[in-house]
Amino acid sequence: MSVTRDEVLRIARLAELDVEEETLPELAEQMSRILDYVAQLSAVPANGTVKAFVPGPDAIRFRVDEVSPAPLAFGPDEFAPVFKEGFFVVPRLDQFE
Amino acid sequence: MSDAKAIADRLMKLRRLNALLTPPKDLRKSLNAQAAAARPTGVLYGMPVAVKDNICTLEFTTSCGSRILEGYRSPYEATAVSKLKAAGALIAGKTNCDEFAMGSSTEHSAYGRVVHPLDKARVPGGSSGGSAALVGAGAIPAALGSETGGSVRQPASFCGVVGIKPTYGRVSRFGLVAFGSSLDQIGVFGRSVHDAARVLSVISGRDARDATCEDRDPLRLPTVPESLQGFVIGLPREYFPPELDPAVRRACERAVRLMKEQGAAIREVSLPHTPYAVPTYYVIAPAEASSNLARYDGVRYGPRFNGSADVRALYRSTRGQGFGAEVRRRILVGTYVLSAGYYDAYYRRAQQMRALIAQDFRNVFDRGVDLLFTPTTPTPAFKAGEKLGDPIAMYLSDIFTVTANLAGLPAMSIPIGRVKGLPIGGQLIGQAFLEDEMIEAAYALERVVPATDEA
Repeated sequence: MSVTRDEVLRIARLAELDVEEETLPELAEQMSRILDYVAQLSAVPANGTVKAFVPGPDAIRFRVDEVSPAPLAFGPDEFAPVFKEGFFVVPRLDQFE
Repeated sequence: MSDAKAIADRLMKLRRLNALLTPPKDLRKSLNAQAAAARPTGVLYGMPVAVKDNICTLEFTTSCGSRILEGYRSPYEATAVSKLKAAGALIAGKTNCDEFAMGSSTEHSAYGRVVHPLDKARVPGGSSGGSAALVGAGAIPAALGSETGGSVRQPASFCGVVGIKPTYGRVSRFGLVAFGSSLDQIGVFGRSVHDAARVLSVISGRDARDATCEDRDPLRLPTVPESLQGFVIGLPREYFPPELDPAVRRACERAVRLMKEQGAAIREVSLPHTPYAVPTYYVIAPAEASSNLARYDGVRYGPRFNGSADVRALYRSTRGQGFGAEVRRRILVGTYVLSAGYYDAYYRRAQQMRALIAQDFRNVFDRGVDLLFTPTTPTPAFKAGEKLGDPIAMYLSDIFTVTANLAGLPAMSIPIGRVKGLPIGGQLIGQAFLEDEMIEAAYALERVVPATDEA
């Protein structure tokens, strides 16, 4: 198995995602299977001569540098979980990691 | 014009499919208001079009099939939706889908699975399963879906309807909730090629609000051709593997024979990197998803789940409890392949493989092939629960569709036969921004193929 339980926990922390203790063995197993499966990509010539491909226009079109109103039908006070005096309210950060 | 009440009644009769997320009362009220306001001169005047729940609407909530956006009302609507309304169409509610469009069976919705319109034990495909099921059941002539790896064509194939994924950049994505930004496109379902094509023509074209939408006029609808004289249609051999379902193979062979009788030149071709398409997709799509879904943290919109102690606890508990199992799994895989030490082995390799897959298509089209014809899916609709425990088996149901997303090409599925009553879809893949040619060929095929006959 290529992914361990501790690795799942490390990745979950990076992803800001709580994972339940009892789901860890299954998650590690499934992630391992997925990552082992995609490992067949190592068949790509690793010499770096192939350039990455992204569809779409070759260059981003610039638009006129003008301020235009945001097309919102209603404001954040109607869709935010907690909004007060123009701010989104969150609990304070206890400690830095 | 169809009466708003009749549209709502037709949709409500199909509640057993669990395809529509909009409550009946909201649907009736909105349809009445929309019908009163619709422009009678619009080319889609009175046409009910249901919209996948990951496309923002002002009329209805936009939950993306997720608990993390339960009850979310968007303060703006998607450009595609604005264009539909401007053409006189009626937005006929929001359709159930796999959570954040991640899935191939519409079993990964927080609001329950969607039932196949012809067999309640089976799935309608996904992720746009609700849209496909409603068109397949005959409740509405057309619906919007979205595609990242086949989420319109695969359910269209399963439900016996037409599904079109346009070229990347053909339709504005303003208001489409992002999943894999280098892959996502809004697509359309129709009960016929014409219904799908005319909706696509309305929603296509430039949009100042989406920098990835190309500066082009809306798609012009082609006329129905007399024949397929002059068309060179390629059959990529990698799409007809020995293990292909025999009925799917028979249906494809019959469709090819009919296209030949219509005057098309048929040529066998090769797209050698096809076997790597699914692994490439399942690196790139989760990587982009992990980045796009970072915004759901319970701070600015959507519900919060516990975590009142500390802002970090708020993020983690909201995301941990708000996202379902498949979305969590993809966020973790995406975060893994982008993390330090693994980026080159996975993500960079996948980007390079993507280039080789796109080059395969260019090579074939450069040699005079106009369009490719393939099966849309390796099998007809599978049973509910059959692939839930095996993510890779589920991913492989997109094996013939992910390539067009990776290469940014237009592609569509049309019904070409049935096996034991279950629809089979044939896929046409076209050249970038040549949807008109692809639709022309589809018109010709649709006219002659016995779509509801056993293959």
